[in-house]
Amino acid sequence: MVDRHEEFKAFVARHVAPFAEQWDRDQSIPDSVIAKVAQCGYLGSSLPSEYDGQGWDVVTFGLLNEAFGRGSSALTGVLTVQAMVSMALLKWGTVEQKRAWLPPLAKGEMIGAFALTEPGAGSAMQSLVTEFTQNGGGLILNGSKKWISCGQFAAVFLVFGTLGQRSVACVVPRNTPGLQIEPITDLMGFRAAGLAQLHFHDVEVPSANLVGKPGFALSHVAPVGLHYGRISTACSALGLLRGCFEESITHAAIRKIGDKTVGDMGMVRSLIARMGTDLEAGSSLCRNACRAEDDHLPAAFEKTLMAKYFTSRAAVRAASDAVQIRGASGCHGSSPVSRYYRDAKIMEIIEGTTQIHEDILGKIFVDQAGRFGTLTRSD
Amino acid sequence: MSTRDHDGIKETVRSFILSSITITDWDDDADLFESGIVNSLFAVQLMTFVEKTFGIEVGMDDLDMANFKSLNATTAFVLKKNGRRGG
Repeated sequence: MVDRHEEFKAFVARHVAPFAEQWDRDQSIPDSVIAKVAQCGYLGSSLPSEYDGQGWDVVTFGLLNEAFGRGSSALTGVLTVQAMVSMALLKWGTVEQKRAWLPPLAKGEMIGAFALTEPGAGSAMQSLVTEFTQNGGGLILNGSKKWISCGQFAAVFLVFGTLGQRSVACVVPRNTPGLQIEPITDLMGFRAAGLAQLHFHDVEVPSANLVGKPGFALSHVAPVGLHYGRISTACSALGLLRGCFEESITHAAIRKIGDKTVGDMGMVRSLIARMGTDLEAGSSLCRNACRAEDDHLPAAFEKTLMAKYFTSRAAVRAASDAVQIRGASGCHGSSPVSRYYRDAKIMEIIEGTTQIHEDILGKIFVDQAGRFGTLTRSD
Repeated sequence: MSTRDHDGIKETVRSFILSSITITDWDDDADLFESGIVNSLFAVQLMTFVEKTFGIEVGMDDLDMANFKSLNATTAFVLKKNGRRGG
């Protein structure tokens, strides 16, 4: 596989980074920008060519998200959610569903959104109250979803809820009668990511739109989407971290304080040392996670959790330090580090909070005690 | 499918499960998920392991907890999929 990182970085330098502050202020990304991203095939990077995707490996998908994360976390969010919907459909969709939905998703003719979170169910997925009921040969959907990235402009939603006692996932087109979309504005970060609240009032959907078998939406369908969401977010946070690092070392090298530069100050060097080391460590964790996914290894799951856990926290630290190094200018909208500071915190929330990651990873590590042969039956 | 195939698959799956849990002794028919031996997140990892190790694809039609609920069930599932592929 060709290393396309330079291509991705050039695209971001030309079409993304110079405009990201304006999108942030506007709380919106122009349709023409998303169309350009689509033209380059970036919205179907991980889908196979038989569905009009690029068929790139996961390492390349990670590099794409890292490059975009350096320019705009909000735009990277479109890549994230598109992959979450696409890969869940690729794994668990029927032949008919794949033929219907994957080509337009791959070509970016259609943006997807992953409608899992509810007003009363964020980290607690088992608490979903959005409800599907049987209605003759079809389904009726009632409930609401909140904090849905790309919800403002998505053409299709992968909606999670219950059918009786069983969890289900279902494709719901935007233009379905009874679906009301309410934009969420004035977020701290990800301001241009088009978040929305979705309200479903007696929405009729065909049973053929169910993805996977009833009862497996939360155990099998959602985890595939969330896994790709974490890969994307981990690499996007890495890109943001890289942005903080590059902004900081540049400022440290040229900004004068008396006859010295900012970079001559030991305290600033400490901040930059941590930032640069976190960048290197985060790069390794992300590459390892992506390679494990390319190799289809079960360990890809925990490696991705570790990568997302590490890079999102490191990005928050780096963004805070980058603002500190820049001083007053770092607190103004004319400097990208003020946006990085606000966006970075969102990284610790989406696709599983830091605390959820700690809970899962802690259990995984404790359970690995069996690998080392230190347990006996009496233990 | 020979007894050796069956035993080889079973021990391979057993080793993988053992690498992910804290107990070392459990019944080969014990429901891994109902009993709490593994958490629900393990379902996707076990599925991925089976796909990777035995070269089979778990599709929507295979979505049935009966296929993966225990060591014996997973072994039987792999044998069934291998047989279908071979035949």
